[in-house]
Amino acid sequence: MVRMKSLALLAAPIGVALVVWSCDPQRSAVAPIIGTPLAHFHEFQCTPFKMTGGGRIDYPPGTAEKNPPASHRYETFGAHVMDQDGDCVADQGALEWVDHRPEMRVNGQPLNLHATEVTFAEVATDADCRDGAVHWGGKLRVQNTGQEGVDFVVWDCDDGEPGVSDGFAIAVDLVVNGEFYAVTCPESHAEPTCTLTGGNRQFHPTH
Amino acid sequence: MRIDTFRGAIRLLGLVLPMTLVASSAQSQMRAASRAEAYGVSVSTPTVNQKSPYAVLPTGEAMSTDQGQGVSIAGLVTAHDLFAIVTGDADPVDGSNAVSSATLGAVQLLNGLITADGVVAIASSTVGDNAVGSNAEGSSLGNVVVGGVEVSDPAPNTRMDLPGVGYVILHELRPTGDGVTTSGLTVNMIHVVLQQPILGLLGQVIGYKTVGNIIVGSATSSVTR
Repeated sequence: MVRMKSLALLAAPIGVALVVWSCDPQRSAVAPIIGTPLAHFHEFQCTPFKMTGGGRIDYPPGTAEKNPPASHRYETFGAHVMDQDGDCVADQGALEWVDHRPEMRVNGQPLNLHATEVTFAEVATDADCRDGAVHWGGKLRVQNTGQEGVDFVVWDCDDGEPGVSDGFAIAVDLVVNGEFYAVTCPESHAEPTCTLTGGNRQFHPTH
Repeated sequence: MRIDTFRGAIRLLGLVLPMTLVASSAQSQMRAASRAEAYGVSVSTPTVNQKSPYAVLPTGEAMSTDQGQGVSIAGLVTAHDLFAIVTGDADPVDGSNAVSSATLGAVQLLNGLITADGVVAIASSTVGDNAVGSNAEGSSLGNVVVGGVEVSDPAPNTRMDLPGVGYVILHELRPTGDGVTTSGLTVNMIHVVLQQPILGLLGQVIGYKTVGNIIVGSATSSVTR
């Protein structure tokens, strides 16, 4: 009887640990290949960091000039990502993306993408971004349709304060209007990121 | 005697100085703050109190969102495609930031007295070693018509009277903070102030009192070092 109790005492924590392990999302540091930058964001480093903020992009063309407000040719977003351990695996992350362009409406609403999981996060060492550049991504849900588990990647640039030349770009494994959805700007100083027309991205190197 | 006094002073400094440093560090860590809030429509009258969609940055979190396909408050406001997104981070080491945005599609106020199509309110605040400040970059109003008059790209704090109703402030900016350790900004793209006349003894109008507010497209951000 005592032996049985000892065995149970030994087995219980192992069982709990196994259950916790099985529930923990098995994140991967491997970035899916969606969209390919030409000259930047090719060299990466695994180091602790955090990137926060949000804002507006007027794409196309994605320059620092706003499009006419009534054209609805802009995108707004909020996004953050953190790699605490410097292993290129995201410990936290979130993305909310809204594309207000009339041609991007899905089911009568602006295209709305919501990250459900952020998996990888790596610091780019070859991007022209004064304070820091990050490549990260994971899975998202298309809020308009409920479609889940869609791969996405983001290129993220903090080019100093107050954020007027910061950049952001996104590519999603999702076909909208017959093409893979992407908001990328090959002509920008931190290609493929598009320049923010409002808001701010802030790189925190010590997290 | 002098040496003993000197040694005593050193001992005292050795005890007190680390405590001061710890207290100062703890104080700066406690003070760093980031605040962000955004909403699509807010109506505040004696009979209606509503704010939707509404996002507030929770303490210790980095993002919050809310959205609505449409908002309709009879006789006061209708709006479509509403999104509120707030982000921020309180970081005493690398600096704090907060960004909030509210976006709307077609908007109609007071049975068509004011219309707009495409409202964006963005407030952004940053505090760090190199910068302290807030701005409303990215905010815009599309196709605004007030009382039949088209208002193209209104300047900040453009005020227009609405006879019999009150007045409207377009692209309203309300800065906060001291610009050194704190900075903040509220952007209200359309702010209608509902007023009623105050009558004198002889029935003449001697002033106006505010009886309500309608705000469309509001974003607030603030940070503390």
